[in-house]
Amino acid sequence: MTPTAATPEPRSRAWLPTPSLAVLVAAILAVCVIAWLSYRALKARAEAADAVNHTNAVQDALHRYLSSAKDAETGQRGFLLTGDEHYLEPYHLAIGALAAEADSIRQLTADNPAQQRRLEMLAPIVTFKLDELARTIAHKRRGDGDAALQIVRDDSGKLAMDKIRQTVEEMLAGEQMLLTFRTQQWEATVTWSSYVMLGSGLVLLAMICMIAVLASRDFRAVTAEDWSRRVQLALTSQLQGDVRLETIGEKVLGVLADNLGARVGAVYAVEPNAALRRVAGHALAASGEPGATVAPGEGLTGQAVKSQRTLHLRALPAHYLEISSAAGRSSPRELVIAPGVVDGAVQSVTEVGFLHALDATELTLLERASQTIARAIRGARDRNRLEDLLGEVQRQAEELAAQQEELRVSNEELEQQAHALQASQTQLENQQAELEQTNVQLEEQARSLARQRDELARASAELQRANTVKSQFLANMSHELRTPLNSSLILAKLLSDNRDGNLTAEQIRFAQTIYAAGNDLLTLINDILDLSKIEAGMLDVRPERVVLARLGDELTRTFQPVAAHKGLALAIRIDPTAPAHLETDPARLSQILKNLLSNAFKFTERGGVTLELSAADGRVRFAVRDTGIGIAHDQHHLIFEAFRQADGASNRKFGGTGLGLSISRDLARLLGGELTIASAPGKGSTFTLALPGTPAVIAPPRAPLAVADELAPARPVAPPPTDDRDALDATSRSLLIIEDDPAFARVLCDLAHELEFKALVATTAEDGLALARRHPPSAVVLDVGLPDRSGLAVLDSLKRDATTRHIPVHVVSGSDYARSALEMGAVGYALKPVDRDQLIDAIKHLESKFTQELRRVLIVEDDAVLRQSTARLLAGDDVETTTAASAEQALTLLNTTTFDCMVLDLALPGRSGLELLEDMASGDQYGFPPVIVYTGRSLSPGEIRELERFSRSIIIKGARSPERLLDEVTLFLHQVESRLPPERQRMLRDARDREAVFDGRRVLVVEDDVRNVFALSSVLEPRGARVEIARNGREALDHLRHKPGVDLVLMDIMMPEMDGLEATRELRKDPQFARLPIIALTAKAMSDDRDKCLAAGANDYIAKPLDVDKLLSLARIWIRA
Amino acid sequence: MTAPDRTPSATPVRGREPSGLREPPRPDEPGLDGLDDRELELLLGAIYHIYHHDFRSYAGASLRRRIGAALIHFKCQAIAQLHERVVREPVVFAELLRFLTVQVSDMFRDPTYFRALRDHVVPYLQTYAALKVWVAGCATGEEAYSLAILLHEAGLLDRTQLYATDIHPESLRAAHDGIYATERVARWSDNYRMAGGRASLSDYYSAAYGGAVFDRRLRKAIAFADHSLATDSAFGEMQLVSCRNVLIYFERPLQDRAIGVLRESLCHRGFLGLGLKETLRFTAAAPAFTELVPDARIYQKL
Repeated sequence: MTPTAATPEPRSRAWLPTPSLAVLVAAILAVCVIAWLSYRALKARAEAADAVNHTNAVQDALHRYLSSAKDAETGQRGFLLTGDEHYLEPYHLAIGALAAEADSIRQLTADNPAQQRRLEMLAPIVTFKLDELARTIAHKRRGDGDAALQIVRDDSGKLAMDKIRQTVEEMLAGEQMLLTFRTQQWEATVTWSSYVMLGSGLVLLAMICMIAVLASRDFRAVTAEDWSRRVQLALTSQLQGDVRLETIGEKVLGVLADNLGARVGAVYAVEPNAALRRVAGHALAASGEPGATVAPGEGLTGQAVKSQRTLHLRALPAHYLEISSAAGRSSPRELVIAPGVVDGAVQSVTEVGFLHALDATELTLLERASQTIARAIRGARDRNRLEDLLGEVQRQAEELAAQQEELRVSNEELEQQAHALQASQTQLENQQAELEQTNVQLEEQARSLARQRDELARASAELQRANTVKSQFLANMSHELRTPLNSSLILAKLLSDNRDGNLTAEQIRFAQTIYAAGNDLLTLINDILDLSKIEAGMLDVRPERVVLARLGDELTRTFQPVAAHKGLALAIRIDPTAPAHLETDPARLSQILKNLLSNAFKFTERGGVTLELSAADGRVRFAVRDTGIGIAHDQHHLIFEAFRQADGASNRKFGGTGLGLSISRDLARLLGGELTIASAPGKGSTFTLALPGTPAVIAPPRAPLAVADELAPARPVAPPPTDDRDALDATSRSLLIIEDDPAFARVLCDLAHELEFKALVATTAEDGLALARRHPPSAVVLDVGLPDRSGLAVLDSLKRDATTRHIPVHVVSGSDYARSALEMGAVGYALKPVDRDQLIDAIKHLESKFTQELRRVLIVEDDAVLRQSTARLLAGDDVETTTAASAEQALTLLNTTTFDCMVLDLALPGRSGLELLEDMASGDQYGFPPVIVYTGRSLSPGEIRELERFSRSIIIKGARSPERLLDEVTLFLHQVESRLPPERQRMLRDARDREAVFDGRRVLVVEDDVRNVFALSSVLEPRGARVEIARNGREALDHLRHKPGVDLVLMDIMMPEMDGLEATRELRKDPQFARLPIIALTAKAMSDDRDKCLAAGANDYIAKPLDVDKLLSLARIWIRA
Repeated sequence: MTAPDRTPSATPVRGREPSGLREPPRPDEPGLDGLDDRELELLLGAIYHIYHHDFRSYAGASLRRRIGAALIHFKCQAIAQLHERVVREPVVFAELLRFLTVQVSDMFRDPTYFRALRDHVVPYLQTYAALKVWVAGCATGEEAYSLAILLHEAGLLDRTQLYATDIHPESLRAAHDGIYATERVARWSDNYRMAGGRASLSDYYSAAYGGAVFDRRLRKAIAFADHSLATDSAFGEMQLVSCRNVLIYFERPLQDRAIGVLRESLCHRGFLGLGLKETLRFTAAAPAFTELVPDARIYQKL
């Protein structure tokens, strides 16, 4: 693409068209030339006039000069003639004038050297003449006329006079010549300038003509342009607005007819198929009706379209196009066919016929008009298309609106449904809230259930213990009872025997009664003893081989006399299914059988008692059957209870302790069997003892664990199911529980979970140590009484191992090893039985230890005072200081304890600090905490280099050094902590209830007014604070000194004995109480009291009468965590 | 994506916004917002009843944004989930507190404020024999230390008890330690100078191990303690209370309550300093104060 074609000519800023400008410039130049030439001619003329005047002046001067000379001579002649002085007057005048004349001539001819020269020559002659005259006159005056005449006669005067005359004549002639020359010059100039002026005038005339021609041309062009513009404007204004295709032609032809005098015309529009359709006609004959079409390329019109050029036809063939009017027809003389081209395409053709000849302007106008028409036609077409499109769009919009309407309707429906949904959702939410509430309640209930369960478990344990104690008591008591009973029985027996024969029959009967009663009592005691032994688990089982036949014989021997005495039959039958022998404790077995048999005889009046031995299901069955009174079914379970018989009333009738069946049942269980009853009133009873063929180890609750422990001390004991060892990760807070009592381990486990620890449980020392090494726990709870090794040995092992040394250990034991445990490094000790709160405290203590263990500082300093003061300087809530006086001591400590930071004095007795550092670095057995060297001496650069290998900072002791040391240690420990993973950083505290801030806090109220004390207590105590009371300052001081650990002091000011201000001052003097929060209670009116309180050292004050909220807020602020 | 915890029909909103972060409620969809608002309400209610921290009247939009951040942090899909954890695990609540409270502070932040205190308030304070100054909402203590330095330079620190309170225990602990990262402290030096500091800020701290610990004398003058403007009451008669950029997190009723507590804590003609974007105008307590230095938002109790 070449851009040149498109660049339009910039608008001309010239005042005049270039030819006009050239002509104008030429005219101006001509005028200038004429003016200059005229000036020159005039100037020449003036110069010539000047020259003439000059010449005249010079000639006049010369004439005057000559005449003066003549006058002088004339005057002289007259005087000479007359001697009359009167004639000398002209002479005198002439003498005066001559000099002036000579000067005048000299000046006038100053530019003419030739004349000057002549004047020079003239001067001496004139002087001579005058001299001659003067001499003659002088002679005459003296009366010597002759001498004068003599002088005149010698003719020298005359000659001089002639000479003068001649010279003047010459000068006159010279001037005359000059004048002639100048005059000629002037004439030449005048002639030349006349020619020039004539020529210039002609040139000017020509130019004026040219300008006139140009102006006329421009005017015509402008007029034509203006006309053409007006016509176009008329066209355009006709075509403006919403003009339809059909009206365009009519309007255009109308305009052309009005302005151009077109007599006939037609407008064709180019159809999409390139055919021409006539859209309008003007004064056309009938044949040319609108709508006629012309095929492309057909005729002149078609040709014009094809060539896209305007055709101008002058000599038209006759009747080519006819102008039609009502009067007749005529043919135009000229015809113009102008195609209208827009964007390179012919849009229309305008055909116009004229009766007159067309000029170029009209032609151009026609061409332009045809463009305008073309544009209008295209515009009309575009507009038509646009209207079509608009219609389309409007339809679509309508459709859209309809769709929207549809949507809106469905949306409304949706909304209704959504509302319904929302309603149900709200309902659901409410239900959920209710559920949540219920859930909370349920949780609460669950918690309370758990609490009850724990309580029950505790109560049950308590009960168990009480039961054991009871059984022990009974066992002991029975023993104690039996001893005196024995002696009374023996004595009663002795009495009833009446060996001395001194007793009456009645006395003997008494003694027999005593003996019988004593015997009964003994049986009872034995029974009780048995029962309690069984219950207390103190009965041993000694299994032996028991031959059943022999057992039967023995029983027969024992009970045959009883049967005979009561007139009852006794049968002992051994079933063929029964084994020959049995592995069990024979004493217990026979005790059971004897018991059953004696019971059977006791409750049987008629019939007999049978013992049947048989076997079923691998068990040996001993069935004792009687034909006695029988027992109602609903009382079957009662008869096995201690001290119960089937019928309470039967007691007196049948006697006995009622313990027999209880003992028998327990013994049966002890032997691994069971005792059952089948009976009905009046139908007799059958008691069946079933024993296993071989003895099973069935034992009281405590026994099996002991047995297991004895059997397999090294065998890994299966951990309780809730152990979290699989859920551990590196960052877990874990608690290792080494405890052999599963129940207690269970309790500890639950507690650990409650306190957000993971729990690890080991039941033996070995297992515990292994676990501690494998998963180093955060803390350990250790039982002393372990099956394999003592817990203290475990503690020792833990403290010896560098990997477990830092783990805090809490010892729990049934016996008091507190001292040794604490000495060995346990952080706490509790004696079993331990209650829950104690355990919680213990675990929390452990927690605080292991979260604080990062802040342990070792101070190595030989000077005792400095050691203590440094320790006190660094010690704080979170920092524990340990001191060592020598390098050896430090090494020992480093071997056993992990420190976070070490403050080291270089000057130590024995080994120097530097050597200590080297020792520490040399061996693995010492922990190597970061070291801050704190020294009194200045160090050499070499020493500093050496120290910098080990130490992070070196502080030279000085006035400000304690503060710097403190800052260093603080910052260091802070850094240590900030580098820990977040889980190991200081535990998030106070996550619990904000209201719990007073829980367990001790508040000392120092106040003499009981009502105020009561008021304060009633505010503080419900929030968990423990309120302690002192009635005056003195008591407060005593109280604080004897019971340290008070968290807050509320100090009244006005008190007897020692007032609050003084007490506060006293307290502040004691460094122990320097930071104890003290709030003064002042009277409202006394505002200067308040300043006094603060000056005395109170932390703040509160005015009485107390505002409870204010007091609580203030106390909350000062009770520090 | 995890499975929704309820049926979709019951929770049409949940699926769309798993983060739980919601835009402020728009008037044209009142129903859709009820859900999260209610959950939020429940959560805040639970927090209040279990831990006695009251966030129920905190400004909703801001609180929602912060809860949103917490949901992401705790990997919870919905507030209800967070609710459950907060109720069950006190440690989660301790951590959530970090989100619920906005712990942003600098030393001598807005130096013009401190400059105004120095120029206009300190001369009054110098007339008191003993002073009490309260920084309510002290965050990690920067402002309390700034005030302590200012008072020290005015020669007042020895007779001043500064209280610095907040509800966030961790922040209080950090404030009590008075240890800040060295880079931050370096930045504060400019603030200190612009606030009209008389010395160099470095005179007040020792720096080592990347941390700077502020002078013990400053710390000794400050009691850092737990105090909530939402639930606790006034506790003393202060000459100056500075409570800056705290009220912006409260809704109007809580603002009025908090300002009431502040007002009650002030002695006659005591001074109250607020954040530069806060004002007493339009609050119920406005008539009780005059504007002492309006540009620095320093008011004096009438």
